[in-house]
Amino acid sequence: MTAIARATRAMLFAALLGIASLLQMQAAFAHASLIGVEPVDGSVIAAAPASFSLSFSEPTSPLSLKLIGPGGAATALDRYALRDATLDIVAPGGLANGTYVLSWRVVSEDGHPVGGSSVFSIGAPSANAPPSEAELVDWPVRIAIWLARLGTYVGLFLGVGGAFFLHWIGGRSRTATYFGTASLSLGLVAVPVSIGLQGLDALGASLSVLSDPIVWKTGFGTSLGSLASLAFAALLCGLLAFRLNGLGGRVISLIGLLLVGAALAASGHASAAHPQWLTRPAVFLHAVGIAFWACALIPLAVAFVSRSADAPMVLRRFSKVVPLAVLSLVAAGLLLGVIQLGSIDALWRTAYGVVFLVKLALLVPLFALAAVNRVWLTTPAEQGDARAVLRLRRSILAEIALVVAIFAVAGAWRFTPPPRALAMAAAAPASIHIHTEKAMADLTITPGRAGPVRASIVVMTGDFGPLDAKAVTLVLSNPSVGIEAIRRPATKPGDGTWHVDELTLPVSGRWTARIDILVSDFDLVKLEDTIDIRP
Amino acid sequence: MKKSILSAVALLALGTTAASAHITLETQEAQVPSTYKAVFRVGHGCEGKPTIKVRVQIPEGVIAVKPQPKTGWTIEKVKGKYEKSYDYYGTPTTEGVKEIVWSGGSLADDEYDEFVLRAYLTGDLKVDTTLYFPVVQECTDGAAERWIEIPAAGKVADDYETPAPGVKLVPKK
Repeated sequence: MTAIARATRAMLFAALLGIASLLQMQAAFAHASLIGVEPVDGSVIAAAPASFSLSFSEPTSPLSLKLIGPGGAATALDRYALRDATLDIVAPGGLANGTYVLSWRVVSEDGHPVGGSSVFSIGAPSANAPPSEAELVDWPVRIAIWLARLGTYVGLFLGVGGAFFLHWIGGRSRTATYFGTASLSLGLVAVPVSIGLQGLDALGASLSVLSDPIVWKTGFGTSLGSLASLAFAALLCGLLAFRLNGLGGRVISLIGLLLVGAALAASGHASAAHPQWLTRPAVFLHAVGIAFWACALIPLAVAFVSRSADAPMVLRRFSKVVPLAVLSLVAAGLLLGVIQLGSIDALWRTAYGVVFLVKLALLVPLFALAAVNRVWLTTPAEQGDARAVLRLRRSILAEIALVVAIFAVAGAWRFTPPPRALAMAAAAPASIHIHTEKAMADLTITPGRAGPVRASIVVMTGDFGPLDAKAVTLVLSNPSVGIEAIRRPATKPGDGTWHVDELTLPVSGRWTARIDILVSDFDLVKLEDTIDIRP
Repeated sequence: MKKSILSAVALLALGTTAASAHITLETQEAQVPSTYKAVFRVGHGCEGKPTIKVRVQIPEGVIAVKPQPKTGWTIEKVKGKYEKSYDYYGTPTTEGVKEIVWSGGSLADDEYDEFVLRAYLTGDLKVDTTLYFPVVQECTDGAAERWIEIPAAGKVADDYETPAPGVKLVPKK
């Protein structure tokens, strides 16, 4: 008992701790805000600075500090000192002229991470707008996320699925139990770790701060939190099922299998797609189908490798039910693929589509092997044909390798937004909220990318009261590329908002938006902030 | 040499243009308390259109306002209550002119004119600050220029596109 039980107990405790701290995080409401930055946002300075400084409203500790240069390369800023609520950062030497982005993410004492970036230029602004942080990839974090995902799949499909197989189909042996437990253990490590990694990814932080509790809180707060909780429960069910016999083991292993489906349906691109009444059950069916098929591989391989006497019987029972599982898994998979891809050419035009194609390419030999097993090898193997048994054994081992490869490929989907989401993101508006004591405004530019756009503005008084403005003017400029003010009076169609139609933003990047609100004949309020326009 | 004189002249000319596009006060400094003659200089219409109305808002602390009549223009005196009572040579004053409107005339974009009023700057006004008179200039076809921006702390009128004309307040000598 002991080693596994102890580990299980420790992990359960960690999961509970995570939930507890999440609740705590939601209770906190005040968090640190930036009150000053050196160099000032948007400034042009004559010479490279020796240091940067960020002043906050309360003491903070940094999670991630980066300087993104004119070429787009990011440098981690790891030499800093905290002085009360001010963070003094040593600037890297040899900074060339051009535009830089100082990107920061800190956590304040209330445990709330806040982030932002400040743009400044040395000498003169670069001709090209500086890249946004989103374009930068932290490869160690990414690879770790992928490995954790692979481990999760192995644990769920081979481990939990394996437990189900042993109870419902057969083939129970010490070796099969050993492999199943090993898969489950891998999953039990990978699932909690993936929460921390997800936190790193969400915060844009590097592996070095993985131990920071805020990283784990953040990771748990994402939709992965529910996936991880369900997956963890599924893995524990699997572990328990290996220790039980009879009806109890059957029930627990079935619950585990259903939890695998529920876990995968709780998070991820596919589950987020609409219509959800269709996509979530499809993901559930797909996952249960995979678990059912993949679950057979290890026990079958073990049964044939160890020349177990009841191997043919197990194979026969499995062969009877597997077509049903494969059918549901393929149907659900195709349905999800169609929804996610949206169009045929997305298959080769997008990273998501390429992953889809690679996965299909691996599925073809897998299905071929499965067909060969079923049509040509199953009956002779059942009858004790030694050559057929040998071939079947090899074929099952090859299937295991292919299945793991498919898990690995599917894990890459974590990093490729589906074409459906890309299209939605491209059409998504860019919006900012500007709040001053006298007045505030919500500016929404639709779509939030360069080209023809429409702007919608809602104005209110500084204390959220109605503001019956006489006139509203939108002034957009992009000084870094030399675009002077584009000035457009807004019209009021009568729904309480102000509109500017037929506006064209010639370039992407960080624009300065100013909203001039004429409150009365002699009272003009100007609100100004920056808004990021996508390419 | 000749070239540098030319560019100096050009610079001067440009500088003048920029200044005269605004509505400004002729006398840029006044003592408090004292009587001040405010001469609003209008050197431009709105986007090329002729000016047909000039509205001047009287800031708090400025009382006993008397506009100077102007041929071809009608004067309207909008009266109201002050925020507090001001002392006018021993007389407590709680209400008076809060806005002066010159209308009915027409001042072409390529012509210059002045609009004048006289007022008492009370001792409640702070010295070493600038007193701003927001002005709305209305033109034909509904066009308007609003010289109503009052600089925030630490800024000067030059930081704004349409600053209100201002007068620097100095202690009485």
